[in-house]
Amino acid sequence: MLKVTINGIEIELEKPVTVLEAAKQAGIKIPTLCHFDGLPPFGGCRLCLVEVEKLPKLQTACTLMTTDGMVVRTETAQIKAARRAMLEFLLINHPLDCPYCDKAGECELQDLVAIYGPEAGRFAEGKRTHPESFDDPIIVRNMERCVLCTRCVRMCDELQGAFAITVTGRGSHSFVEPFTGGKYNCEYCGNCLTVCPVGAIMSRLHRHSYRPWYVEREVQTTCGFCGVGCTMILQMREEHIIRSIPRMGLGLNKGLLCVRGRFGYDFVESTERLSTPLINKNGQLQPVSWPEAYEYIANRLKEIKEKHGADAIGAIASGRCTNEDNYMLQRFMRFVIGTNNIDSLARLSYAPTVSYLESIFGQGITANLIPGIANSDGALVVGGDPTTINPILGLQIRAIRKNAGKVVVIGPPGGLKRFVTNALITDPYSEEMVLAAVLGRLSEEKELRGELPRLEEKIRAVKIPSQDELSDAIEVDEINAAVDTLKGMENPVVIIGPEIAMQKRSSKRLFLIAAIAYLINARLFVLSERPNLQGLMDMGCEPHMLPGGRPLEFEMFRHKMEESLGKKVPESKGMNLFEMLDAAQDGQLKALYVMGENLIQSLPNREKVESALKSLELLIVQDIYLTETSRLADVVLPASSWSEKDGTFTNLERRLQSVRAARTVSPGRADWQIIADISSQMGDSGKFSSVESVWEEIIHISPLHAGLSYEDIAKGNALWPYHGEPLRGVEGEFDVEGIDSLPEKRDKEAFYIQLQRPLYHSGSTSRHSRALLSIMGEPLVMINPSSAERLSLKDGDKVVVSSDIHRAEAKIKLSEDVRAGEVALCNTFSGLNFMQFVDYEVSPVLGCIVITKNNVNIEKVT
Amino acid sequence: MEKVLLKNIDNPDSATIKAYEAAGGYQSLKKALDLEPKKIIEEVKSSGLRGRGGAGFPTGMKWDFASRDPKFPKYLLCNADEGEPGTFKDRPILEKNPHLLIEGMIISAYALQAERGYIYLRGEYPHARDVLEKAIAEAYERGYLGENILGKGFRFDLSVHQGAGAYICGEETALIESIEGRRGQPRIKPPFPVNVGAWGMPTVVNNVETLANIPYIVEIGGEAYAKIGSSDCPGPKLYSISCCVEKPGVYELPMGTSLREIIYEHAGGIKGGRELKAVIPGGISTPVLTPDKIDTPMDFVSLPKIGSMLGSGAIMVFDDTVCLVRVCWRAMRFFEHESCGKCTPCREGTGWMRNILERIENGFGREGDIELLQDVALSISGKTFCPLGDGAANVVLSFIRNFPDEFEYHIKNKKCSAGEE
Repeated sequence: MLKVTINGIEIELEKPVTVLEAAKQAGIKIPTLCHFDGLPPFGGCRLCLVEVEKLPKLQTACTLMTTDGMVVRTETAQIKAARRAMLEFLLINHPLDCPYCDKAGECELQDLVAIYGPEAGRFAEGKRTHPESFDDPIIVRNMERCVLCTRCVRMCDELQGAFAITVTGRGSHSFVEPFTGGKYNCEYCGNCLTVCPVGAIMSRLHRHSYRPWYVEREVQTTCGFCGVGCTMILQMREEHIIRSIPRMGLGLNKGLLCVRGRFGYDFVESTERLSTPLINKNGQLQPVSWPEAYEYIANRLKEIKEKHGADAIGAIASGRCTNEDNYMLQRFMRFVIGTNNIDSLARLSYAPTVSYLESIFGQGITANLIPGIANSDGALVVGGDPTTINPILGLQIRAIRKNAGKVVVIGPPGGLKRFVTNALITDPYSEEMVLAAVLGRLSEEKELRGELPRLEEKIRAVKIPSQDELSDAIEVDEINAAVDTLKGMENPVVIIGPEIAMQKRSSKRLFLIAAIAYLINARLFVLSERPNLQGLMDMGCEPHMLPGGRPLEFEMFRHKMEESLGKKVPESKGMNLFEMLDAAQDGQLKALYVMGENLIQSLPNREKVESALKSLELLIVQDIYLTETSRLADVVLPASSWSEKDGTFTNLERRLQSVRAARTVSPGRADWQIIADISSQMGDSGKFSSVESVWEEIIHISPLHAGLSYEDIAKGNALWPYHGEPLRGVEGEFDVEGIDSLPEKRDKEAFYIQLQRPLYHSGSTSRHSRALLSIMGEPLVMINPSSAERLSLKDGDKVVVSSDIHRAEAKIKLSEDVRAGEVALCNTFSGLNFMQFVDYEVSPVLGCIVITKNNVNIEKVT
Repeated sequence: MEKVLLKNIDNPDSATIKAYEAAGGYQSLKKALDLEPKKIIEEVKSSGLRGRGGAGFPTGMKWDFASRDPKFPKYLLCNADEGEPGTFKDRPILEKNPHLLIEGMIISAYALQAERGYIYLRGEYPHARDVLEKAIAEAYERGYLGENILGKGFRFDLSVHQGAGAYICGEETALIESIEGRRGQPRIKPPFPVNVGAWGMPTVVNNVETLANIPYIVEIGGEAYAKIGSSDCPGPKLYSISCCVEKPGVYELPMGTSLREIIYEHAGGIKGGRELKAVIPGGISTPVLTPDKIDTPMDFVSLPKIGSMLGSGAIMVFDDTVCLVRVCWRAMRFFEHESCGKCTPCREGTGWMRNILERIENGFGREGDIELLQDVALSISGKTFCPLGDGAANVVLSFIRNFPDEFEYHIKNKKCSAGEE
């Protein structure tokens, strides 16, 4: 306990803080410029100078720690003169171009000068000049305006961990630049924009098109790009999103955003948005009215149901849609149509991964807090690069390393490469060997605690590769070093990416990871590419699960639901995504209702998927654009996009968060609304006047969400298991493929094509974002420099990539983030994408997708 | 006085280990390694040695702080970034007597139990680098450096780290940043380097001349050393004297020798027998003195009493033909060029002062410029992140205070008074 006196006010402090902080607690404002909460102190701007008794010189309040009995004054004539002098100094080289600077109105320098500054400057000579830089796609730099507070550099180094920019030059000719000059070429998170107090680093997206005071309203919402669920503020002018910005201290992202969240919002204002329902008439999609579309759908569905039964109809839910949308879709299928045929693209990896882990550890095992990751002393990362899949979660892992923790990565470390203690980079398809070897060595070090007998039994049974067998995949020393790191971790996390599920023997790899996590007692995180994959599962958009994570197979749960809803729950397990496609091909499935997904683009073997969809009697697609899939539809319904509707998302840590409409008019209708309308068209008695009424029904029938109000969610306290009842302590049965065998060897000379999950894109939605396209505008085949050398290829060369089922020309880009023997391609662009080249099988244990036929040939185009 | 620091430098081979050993070199190291490290720190404390880099902080106390910090490894850094205009006192040691510095560093490292040392050498001293690197190689060869020094189980590795030409890197925390591979800018203090220095570890940064005193202190003992020169800050001192004197150079004299004695007895008086007009006692950043002050002893205690500082002991003498506005302008060009850019007043203020001085010097001075200069200097003084800004303000303030007429003449007559007389 210490006492300090500031401006005569006595302040009691629990522990020493800076004078600035102490003053803040006492309600005394000390002006600052280089200080920024959350960044390390700098002490450069000298605006926060204060008088401290017994110290001869003025002191900077942002760096000076309080001591007991300290007496501070912040508003004396001497201090006021010093502040005025500092501002006069800052204006020497700062252009007075406020009339056309976009920052004017929210410029910290402008505000400070207005309060403390000189009315006129006495500096009569010329200012320094420096050309404005338009080198970057979405950021413009005007270094003449820079006041060298270095907040951007500290943000980039300390919080973002990108180390993209630095102060170059010296004295008043110092400028913030990328190390190489020219283009930033960085992660484009734009967090430097947040902290820049003046107009030195700004967004180009709405340059010179508005003033800060034109912002008419601000809407706090949750980002719609990935499963982290960052809180953001949408600043609106009329119906336009002018900016999306984070707010310090708000949400789990605590003032940070990634490139998608900050710049990718413009997809909602794309001119390609659908604005009217379409019905296929004589082979052409023709605009129709909403009532006509509803009537048509209702009649066709009734007809099919009568003729072929309810199970001839299926639906695909979407991880981009809200809980309310997804709940309504499964409600429609189960209680209006009468079938459990509902699934989603979560089936590809997220849902099976989470379910499998739950069968080992119990429900809710992946419900761990993202902001807690940075406090861990270690992380094991497998199956993908968190800094591109879930960027803000990736920053938490970078923070572990900054806090002197350790990070072990199995696979290419990508955006974690500067933060890795041990990187076990294997050949493609050798992860299983590596994981088994790690488990083998680790179980020599860590004892089995007897908590989970079934898991331990399997750990004892698993075949561990001998040194000889391992030598083909990786050096044994590397394994030993990684195990030494892992065994020393006290409260580690294990981060599991989607790549773990998408190959053969996925259950084996996932089991090995679970076993390692068990031995080191780690918290589990499963990366999620979509904002609401967990939510759609919790809403019951799975063929075998009811809302609230209740297995359909138990009569008890069906009964309970029937009681609360007064409707019959169909008993037999429905078809999953893959089964529905097969059934469509076979003619068993006659109608498919697709909400917000582009199946043709998102699934392997385009021909097969197209053929299945074409075999349907009725394809209904609800989307915001005309996609490869909706072009084949019999009926297309224009939906409202994110930022045009209210609702909730459940992120990968199972936190429920509010999604709010910022645009008040939408070219489409909210997904839940469309389904409610069709339901009532088909005679359903449910009355849904608003999204709240949907939520009311959810908390009425889902035991997990019972009693959880929108107010609770808005407060940010809706953490799993909410106030509801999870099915804790259910240790289920789980199988492991090939527990006593090693994986088959792969041809080392061959090239495999892998799915690239770029930071700058999000599925096919982001191809409608001009901002994101300006950073990455075309598909590039990523190849390791050593592989390129083997093929005599240079960066930018044209090649022909051919697999068993597809052949296409492409441009290559060399990248260390791809392993030797591997090429990677993203799945965003329509002409050239990963899924075209490959086929799939279904994993016998997990039920997830297994990518096959991904052996490719690369030939240079001459 | 018997030469201690520049002993033997007239021997053309003085930089070789052979010559150094022949003159009794490395005997203090042998003696020191038989002593407890603490005992050496005690000796340095009782010697009263104060840092020769400019601030004059008691060396023994600095060592004591670092040695009490329980963290290991500790680092010993030698500040050889001698870059202030007028200062070249360390150069003879670096180029002619490198083994004295190396021996001093090994003893200091032993006292501190530091295993790693760096000599942070000014970028513009390429010859010194060659000499030092050769001398370090010789010392390794002879078993004075490396593992198990002289069989006593102590290990110390030493290398030269050459700066890239930034004056600010002579500031100890900027020096540490630079050694770590970062941009040379000063760090927030506290914590001080003795506790959190290079790579976050306890670090002692000592000037070349300071470290070169250590073998002698070990040789004759702290008490005997304390009797040399001024009682408050004893020892031999290197004074570099330049500009308008007959024999500019580096002179080793007892601390506290008066300016008059240095200028007139050792440096041969004012060039061409002209009149002394002004003298800067300790490098360009120390306030200028008028001729009536030259009987002041040149030490850390006496100069502050008359409003100046000993600094590095770099004396710059100006006779009556020198234009002091031009000196001031030239000095400000240096400070503007060397301002690191970290803090507002130094970054922007030095350039502004240079601008004003430039126009006065070139005959475009305006009425009110002197007051403006003083106001800008006062807005810098005491408000900058590190002392570099104070140095820049000192120049302007002390020149205007002591020679107001010259500035006024310039502004009024659009020309210099010095040339006319």
